Amino acid sequence: MAEHSEITASLRAFQEGYNKNKRLKKMNADWDRVVLVEANDIPSGHTLILRKGELTIQEGSPESPDVKIISDSETLADMFYGDITPTRPYLNGTLKVLGTEDDVVRLDFISLMIWGE
Amino acid sequence: MKRVVSVSLGSSRRDHKVQVALFGEEFEISRQGTDGNFDQAIALLQELDGKVDAIGLGGIDVYLYAGKTRYVVQDGLKLMQAVHKTPVVDGSGLKSTLERETVYFLRQNTDLLPPKTKVLMVSAVDRFGMAEAFTSLDCEVTYGDLIFSAGIPYPISTLEELEEIAHKTLPDMCQLPFHMIYPTGKKQEVQDEEKIKKYGHYYLEAQVIAGDFHLIRRYLPLLKGQTIVTNTTTTEDVAFLREKGAGYLVTTTPEFQGRSFGTNVIEAIMVVLLQKPWPEITPDDYLNLLKQLDLKPRILKLN
Repeated sequence: MAEHSEITASLRAFQEGYNKNKRLKKMNADWDRVVLVEANDIPSGHTLILRKGELTIQEGSPESPDVKIISDSETLADMFYGDITPTRPYLNGTLKVLGTEDDVVRLDFISLMIWGE
Repeated sequence: MKRVVSVSLGSSRRDHKVQVALFGEEFEISRQGTDGNFDQAIALLQELDGKVDAIGLGGIDVYLYAGKTRYVVQDGLKLMQAVHKTPVVDGSGLKSTLERETVYFLRQNTDLLPPKTKVLMVSAVDRFGMAEAFTSLDCEVTYGDLIFSAGIPYPISTLEELEEIAHKTLPDMCQLPFHMIYPTGKKQEVQDEEKIKKYGHYYLEAQVIAGDFHLIRRYLPLLKGQTIVTNTTTTEDVAFLREKGAGYLVTTTPEFQGRSFGTNVIEAIMVVLLQKPWPEITPDDYLNLLKQLDLKPRILKLN
């Protein structure tokens, strides 16, 4: 089990990886989304905000997210640190991504572009 | 009579059956769509296994290529592994040969593909040979893989960048359910109007639109005489393209009684004719057979 602070740190690493990737920002310039990242085994919620290609992170849960990412704290921290890709936990049900299929594919893609080999 | 069946995840409305003679051998060629129903496709493959001479997998790829790297689509592999006795192919073995030749044919025999032609490939990792051929003939190619398969409005303009992005993303993306990255079943019968508004301009900026027909169809706006280079088309598809203002239709596979079948079907026929296990068949085998069969692309003037 990871702590809330570890998830926060992993999200900061994810944000750093995203924001230094100019191409990724260009790719997502059209994709404005509010994303909830929530652990289901500890009290932990974060908000990812994508606006005009820029990614910001806030503590706490948003009121009406476009996409919800829900998993156990360990999986969330591993995933946002890039130790694992989202695909496997998504496929085995450990990770739930609630949104349109297009949004799920886009989030997977962003993660792979940051952390992919 | 040799029997070749294409089992497709696509719409059953496109089902078809023809009989043709090739090298003095009678072939019954049929296509059976399962409307995107994966379990039904598995059941049908198991039913046909050992009872027909070759099976093609349609509406799905098993192998994607970027450069020399091959990526395995897990859903496609599951379908392939449902068959144990009959040779089963997805068309990827032949595509690289046949579709390259089509591009060279257009340059050598028509005025549809002069140097600097602007080409939109709606997807290139499913036909990397065609992508390489366009590039080698000095065409200005936009690869729409991210736009039309992932909904990301980022046109890729070099094969190197395509390979780099594929290397980062395809090993994982290929594990997703196939319907998440490609229109299957009923989705093949309707256009995505929202995305046509967003991405239709990529079609209009091109002179030639190439690639998988279902992807082309799903996002196709009203054209201004562009040439379409694709594989599987029915009589209805030809009428649809004519209505949409396409100038020419070039199909990489030959016409059998009014329609061009998928590459998977032609590859399955070739596997029967070559009488060799699929892993032992080389691109030269396909190329030689193509020459002997005198298979040429079909070119139709539409408008």
